[in-house]
Amino acid sequence: MSHGHSDPIHHPEVQMATNRNYITGFVVSSLLMLAATILVDGHILPSFGLLLAIIGCAGIAIIAQVYFLLHIDISEHNIWNTVALVMFIPLFIITIGLTWWMFSQLYMRTMPMIPGMPGMH
Amino acid sequence: MLVNVPGPWSPLLGRLALSEIPYTNPILAPLFIVIVLAGIVLIAGVTYYGKWGYLWKEWFTTVDHKKLGIMYIILGLIMLFRGFIDGLMMRTQQALGDGPGDNGMKVMGAIHGYLAPFHFGQIYSAHGLIMILLAATPLLVGLMNIIVPLQIGARDMAYPYLNALGLWITTAAVFLIMISLFVGDFSHNGWFGYAPIFELAYSPGVGVDYWIWTLELVALGTTLGSINFLATVVKMRAPGMTWGRLPVFTWTAVSANIIALTSFPCLQVALALVGADRYLGTHFFTAGFGGNLMLYTNLFWLWGHPEVYFVILPAFGMLSEVIPAFSEKPIFGYITMVLASFAIAGVSWIVWLHHFFTMGMGPYVSTEFSIATMLVGIPTGVKVFNWAFTLYRGRLTFSAAMLWSIGALFLLLIGGLTGMMLAIPAINYMVHNSVFVVAHFHMMLLCIVYAVFSAIIFWFPKIYGFKLNEAWGKIMFWLFSAGTFLVFFPMFMLGFMGETRRLDWPFNPQWGPWFDVQEIGIFVYILSVLAFLWMLYVSIRDRHANRVHTADAWGTSRSLEWLTDTPVPFYNFAMVPHINALDEVAWRREHGFMDKKPDHFKAIHMPNNTPIALYIGALTFLVGFGLTWRVWWLTLASLILAVILMIYRSNKGDPGYIIPAEKMEEMDRESKARMLSDDSHQVPHGGGFSGGTVTAYTALDRDASGSLTPPNDSRHL
Ligand code: HEM
Ligand SMILES: [Cu+2]
Repeated sequence: MSHGHSDPIHHPEVQMATNRNYITGFVVSSLLMLAATILVDGHILPSFGLLLAIIGCAGIAIIAQVYFLLHIDISEHNIWNTVALVMFIPLFIITIGLTWWMFSQLYMRTMPMIPGMPGMH
Repeated sequence: MLVNVPGPWSPLLGRLALSEIPYTNPILAPLFIVIVLAGIVLIAGVTYYGKWGYLWKEWFTTVDHKKLGIMYIILGLIMLFRGFIDGLMMRTQQALGDGPGDNGMKVMGAIHGYLAPFHFGQIYSAHGLIMILLAATPLLVGLMNIIVPLQIGARDMAYPYLNALGLWITTAAVFLIMISLFVGDFSHNGWFGYAPIFELAYSPGVGVDYWIWTLELVALGTTLGSINFLATVVKMRAPGMTWGRLPVFTWTAVSANIIALTSFPCLQVALALVGADRYLGTHFFTAGFGGNLMLYTNLFWLWGHPEVYFVILPAFGMLSEVIPAFSEKPIFGYITMVLASFAIAGVSWIVWLHHFFTMGMGPYVSTEFSIATMLVGIPTGVKVFNWAFTLYRGRLTFSAAMLWSIGALFLLLIGGLTGMMLAIPAINYMVHNSVFVVAHFHMMLLCIVYAVFSAIIFWFPKIYGFKLNEAWGKIMFWLFSAGTFLVFFPMFMLGFMGETRRLDWPFNPQWGPWFDVQEIGIFVYILSVLAFLWMLYVSIRDRHANRVHTADAWGTSRSLEWLTDTPVPFYNFAMVPHINALDEVAWRREHGFMDKKPDHFKAIHMPNNTPIALYIGALTFLVGFGLTWRVWWLTLASLILAVILMIYRSNKGDPGYIIPAEKMEEMDRESKARMLSDDSHQVPHGGGFSGGTVTAYTALDRDASGSLTPPNDSRHL
């Protein structure tokens, strides 16, 4: 424990934070947001296609942010980040999944079909 | 791109106009005058006694977790009082306005009672928001702030400056909601907001905007705080403080802050989308153009339910500290207690739909969420049994703190059981949106308030060095409990009688007697508030008589915070202790090590004060105010300034300062001397040496090694 532990700059967490990562993360997620906005604003795809496109953009943006901004990965020297990732994934699946399920049940009972969406009557 | 607002707007003042100030309102105008006068007296007093420098140096710019915690608690108590006054006004309205006929006070422009519906709506909306987010949350965050670092043997939080930032942003939220009293109106669509009433078309005023930005600010402040707590517990534990030795309160703080960190962003997103609807003309939550009202409700409760567990878990932690201390026994079932906290935190993520069972998503979804909701009862039950078994055959002392804790258990029982009833969809369809629900969650939130008072009485001597007056603490407890019973027992009855919530005009004359009982209850509550103030007065007056001369104020405490001097010095521990057992203090007491002193000292590294957190907090207030009134230049200027300050501070960093070992030794001697001599220990020495070697203190790697200059490229963010 002699190697400069009192100096926070040398902690692996701090070492991981590079300007390039932050800027890449920022640019990538901004571009994806812009793309989604343009798609929706111009009604470039049919309704259900739009839905899928936005979900795709959001998914990539999440991965980009988690990786570039939060530095969450599965490397060994960053065990706490891995823990965070392991806890985050089920949460994500639960919240999105249950919401999806509850709204599909709701729509089935209350809403007209979205054009282009398969499997709904 | 921006939506046109109804009514006048100017680039300079936005929607602000003189007519927005309610100087003709017979309640607000006098209140305003009183507040201004009180403010002038306060400022004059501080100036007269020349205390500005002291306030600035010791409080406004501090990054000390204890002082920030104290300020959080003061903020929470003030808002608890404001919320209580809202409650009093609502109770009085319903008592006066009950029944048919013309019973309104014409001077107030009311047809029933003394408040017009528009005014009543603002009161209940503000009441809910304030009590949950600006009273309970700051009180709990404040207590965690003070106690968690002490319990794990840390010198401060992991990010002292971030801690200050969290406080000042929360304060900005408080200012924003308070100013809505006197400038414009507040929202009238409840603390959680109903789609689509909050859309601009239906709520054209600024009320909803105040609501959005107040919530956004607390959400931001609390998220920052939760990051800090987690980092602190993960990284700053004293040597020997393994996960298996972490006090239960710290464990509950960890679980609660995991919930906060993962759920508050949902709220921020939900509100940002409401903001987009209101400011940019999108249609996320409208009925038309592909929007969906229920999407809002879903997003809100996705945060809302975890939030209620965010506030109850630390309260559970407090009970888990107070009850063992006054039962003179270790907590029963430590491991199950910890697991139960995490089970509750985990389950809190899969139950949110129980807040809108009546949405119409059919039986399958309802069944899942109903069962999941009832699952919460299992870990909660485990906890209740653990507390009961801790009490069982304990050597009980019914001190004021203990009474509050036991009271909390009763409320938890009533709240939990009524929650179970609400979790059954068939029952929920009957009582949803009735005051039965309101009574349920007040039982739960009052359980938190009881735990908080218990914790304040319990930990007060640690921070201030003298105890609060026991007798008045107990009197307040009984008055408060009588008030609780008189107000909320009738509320359950009214729920069964079909009274829906938020009625400005309760039309049914048969409800009348129950309203009268509730009104009496409110007056008993007023007495308990007076008892609280009197308790503070008496305790401060008699502080010399109530001095605590030992580290362990109650003589039976168990966890690490009771090891350091009383009152806690700013560096917390002169030498960071080495942890040998769960319940370290109890362990040391039983083995006769309580008066073991460190034989040498080391230089320590402490963070510097900074006013930047305060500046950024003030700027976030301006951002919120500017957005509410649509004063774009103000919003933009403050936002940019805040970001610049943030970047500036991050680049500059804080090298902190070093206190050399000799100085530490001297300060430690003074601090010990202030506790009076060691032989006045009332603590039993007991036990004796159990054999083997014991490490009482070890040096930290973090403690700077001898050198007097701080590492100059180090950055404390
Ligand atoms: C045993 C655990 C609990 C169960 C089973 C439970 C169940 C429920 C259910 C089913 C509702 C929805 C009622 C309705 O609107 O129809 C509800 C509302 C509520 N509960 Fe609980 N609850 C529990 C614990 C808590 C705790 C610990 C808190 C807070 C500290 C809390 C605070 C609330 C609040 C604030 C509401 C209503 C919010 C509103 O509509 O304004 N509950 N609870
Ligand atoms: Cu809930």
